[in-house]
Amino acid sequence: MTKQWKLKEIVLMSVLGVVFGVIYLLFFLVGEGLRNILVPFGLAPLGYEVIYGVWFIVSIMAAYILRKPGAAFTAEFIAGVVEVLLGTAAGPGLLLSAAIQGAGAELVFAITKWKDYRLRILILAGVSTAIISFAWHLYFAGMIALAPWLLASALSVRIISAALISGVFGKWLSDQLAKTGVLRGYALGKELQRKQKHDTA
Amino acid sequence: MVSSINPSLKMFTVLIPGIVLGLTYDVFTPLVYLMFILVVTFTMTTIPLLRWLKFFSPFLLIAAGFAWMTMLYTNQAFSGGEVIFRLWMLEVTTGSLQTGLSVGFRSLCFGALSLMFILTTDSTKLMLSLMQQCKLPPKLTYGILAGYRFLPIFRHELKILQQAHRIRGVARARGIKGRVNQFQRYAIPLLANGIRKAERVAIAMESKGFTGDPDRTHYHKMIVGKRDWLFFTLMIGALITVFVLSYHLGYLEIFGRSFG
Repeated sequence: MTKQWKLKEIVLMSVLGVVFGVIYLLFFLVGEGLRNILVPFGLAPLGYEVIYGVWFIVSIMAAYILRKPGAAFTAEFIAGVVEVLLGTAAGPGLLLSAAIQGAGAELVFAITKWKDYRLRILILAGVSTAIISFAWHLYFAGMIALAPWLLASALSVRIISAALISGVFGKWLSDQLAKTGVLRGYALGKELQRKQKHDTA
Repeated sequence: MVSSINPSLKMFTVLIPGIVLGLTYDVFTPLVYLMFILVVTFTMTTIPLLRWLKFFSPFLLIAAGFAWMTMLYTNQAFSGGEVIFRLWMLEVTTGSLQTGLSVGFRSLCFGALSLMFILTTDSTKLMLSLMQQCKLPPKLTYGILAGYRFLPIFRHELKILQQAHRIRGVARARGIKGRVNQFQRYAIPLLANGIRKAERVAIAMESKGFTGDPDRTHYHKMIVGKRDWLFFTLMIGALITVFVLSYHLGYLEIFGRSFG
């Protein structure tokens, strides 16, 4: 299972997990604020849907940077383990949702045979993650008992959040990082170098 | 004591009830199991009550929000029974009240279970156990631990960045555009430094002979003993007992269909 991974790639995924774990906790306050506004309508839990994309960003950035089969899944799983290590109150249940989300993103990259990393594919991966994680929440959080219109709106908010935050923003952040040169040892950085050489030649 | 239970086994012990409770939509089953978890938490661990409450109170808020939402917007399959009260255009029936309470208690169960895990588990031991019991490859586990150890360094670096900005007279950002700029100014250097460190640590580990070979020896041996299985049996046994009890008393309800 780990033959294909270099140690530095695993540590990179773990570092991404740490950083976005902390960022998610910060964003949690944003969700909390939205929640308070929505309380009187009884829609409080929907506040978190808006920030859901932050959750999925690790798998998409890792897939985009490392460009290997299994990167999306492994990165999200590692992020889940890191969250548990950090002592996030959601605990071991996170590992399950991380695995499910990672599988959702991996699915899209698998369909393209891990060759296509254009923006639209990254967005699609985010959307697929949103849908699959939503299906899991239908069961796990008992959301299946909710009225259909509410489920539909929650799902669409989650999809938009995933597409924007993890797809668009994830790509932008990775590209910015590649420009600093720290990704030279990874697939994305190598591609950028090749392109720059091509441009100057 | 829960803190001495093998972390991997403890993890599964906590996960299984969480998954199985997802089936129930009655109030009795999750409520009784929640009380059982609380009894275990306060008799078999040494977590101070105040510390526990500090962690548990957000769960209470979230669970209450979820219960309230579920109660107001239950779909037809779950909202049978008489109308109890009306709120604006919404009718709350006995069925939706029950579903709301059930979902709320269920999420409290998850919360209490994961707190029992988080507050009694040492992260290094968890990784060692994942490697030795769950056969996770050492490359993965030590890689994760190496990245996880960067957390305090990140905090330190964030401070340095802030001070560096201040000393050069970069003012605090105003407005949305300023905020975005500020985010970029912090996020990119932080991440870039993190990645650089990740690479360096990986090279250091490998140069000191870390091959990631799964066939290795361990200084700290993690074992699964009789006590660990006893704890597993206790938690899962109680879960089964609660389900059977709930079935016999006629409370059990799975996906809106009642049994018993």
